[in-house]
Amino acid sequence: MITLPPSEHNLQAYVDGQLDEADQATMETFLATNPALMRQVRQWQQDAKLLRAGLSGDLQRAPNPQLDPAAVRQGIARQRARHFATAAVLLIAVSLGGVSGWQARNMTLSRANPPMADAVQAYRLFAGNAEMVSDWNATKTTDVQGWLDTHFARANRLPDLESAGFQPVSGRLTTTEQGPAAMVVYKDEQGRTLSFYIRPPGELNNLLPRGTRRDGNLQADYWSGSGYNYAVVGPADDPAAQAARRAL
Amino acid sequence: MHDVDDQLRELLPRLRRFAASLTRDHSSADDLVQSCLEKALSAWDSKRPDGDLRAWLFSILYRQFLDAHRRSRRYSRMLEFFTGTQDDHHAPSAERTIVAQTTLQAFDSLSTEQRALLLAVSVEGLSYKEVAQVLNVPIGTVMSRLSRARQALRLLSEGQITPPALRILK
Repeated sequence: MITLPPSEHNLQAYVDGQLDEADQATMETFLATNPALMRQVRQWQQDAKLLRAGLSGDLQRAPNPQLDPAAVRQGIARQRARHFATAAVLLIAVSLGGVSGWQARNMTLSRANPPMADAVQAYRLFAGNAEMVSDWNATKTTDVQGWLDTHFARANRLPDLESAGFQPVSGRLTTTEQGPAAMVVYKDEQGRTLSFYIRPPGELNNLLPRGTRRDGNLQADYWSGSGYNYAVVGPADDPAAQAARRAL
Repeated sequence: MHDVDDQLRELLPRLRRFAASLTRDHSSADDLVQSCLEKALSAWDSKRPDGDLRAWLFSILYRQFLDAHRRSRRYSRMLEFFTGTQDDHHAPSAERTIVAQTTLQAFDSLSTEQRALLLAVSVEGLSYKEVAQVLNVPIGTVMSRLSRARQALRLLSEGQITPPALRILK
């Protein structure tokens, strides 16, 4: 129920016909006694009518086929497909970048850390050096396997290189980043040396597939088994050493 | 789906008229309607309220107009800064009927919000509640602004004040 004199809001509601019937009637009675207000209200209503008439032409504009909902839907679908394609291309680019970056990292790492590099180092340091103190040598006991087993339980057996003329002559324990390591040096009658090297795979459990690589004039053959990594290192181009490698 | 499209098709002329009253230019009005429809169709399943479809579409269109207007005003201010010219004149559309020419001219000189308000209330006949939804203001604000808009339209029609006096200060 409205109160009189009517508020500004009620006047507007009356102009727009948004009052209920009873309020509408109350308002009309009131306006009848207020000619000035009545004139203003009528003018507003007239303005609204003129506006409706003036803008009605805008409803008759020629249809724009681009605005048809079906066309708009198609546009949205096209746009989505485009976004999807862009996202897919981005994803592919990022994954390619990631994968090749990882590859590059692996390549750099493996170039910086070739497999069983410590075995080759140990060979260079100890195998050619007759003066070097040894932890085991053939003059003490003949049981090199027994000596090795006390340090590396359940490891692969020492390779038997007898057929190629190589005999174990000395053994040495050493430490590496990956844990304790042992090297057994073999010699043949001409004084050529080969080494058998054993150590744990390290914290990352970096087990090796059977492989061969050359490092300067040396060749390392490496593999893994029974929880250890092994390498046999010797001169690369020596025929006797090659024969021993075939016996591995 | 087709039912939706039919409803939209039916409202298209009104949407285009509302857009034209905001942009005062038919081609940019159609651009506005198009982006409004894109928005509405994308949000149809998630956002569509139960109430009057027209009011919902109007509110999307009005919001998009304001966003675009804000962007373009920033741009034109920049342009103005570099070129030293102003370009905010608008010619009344020739397609409009001669009837009520004065009222229409006065209408075109009102502020954007006053145009949107009068069109929604007087021309489209939306309820105050729906208009409040379209303009995103409380219903009491709708009514007091409506009163001011009506008075402004009246004064402009009578030629008592000239349009430049009503220009919004930037």
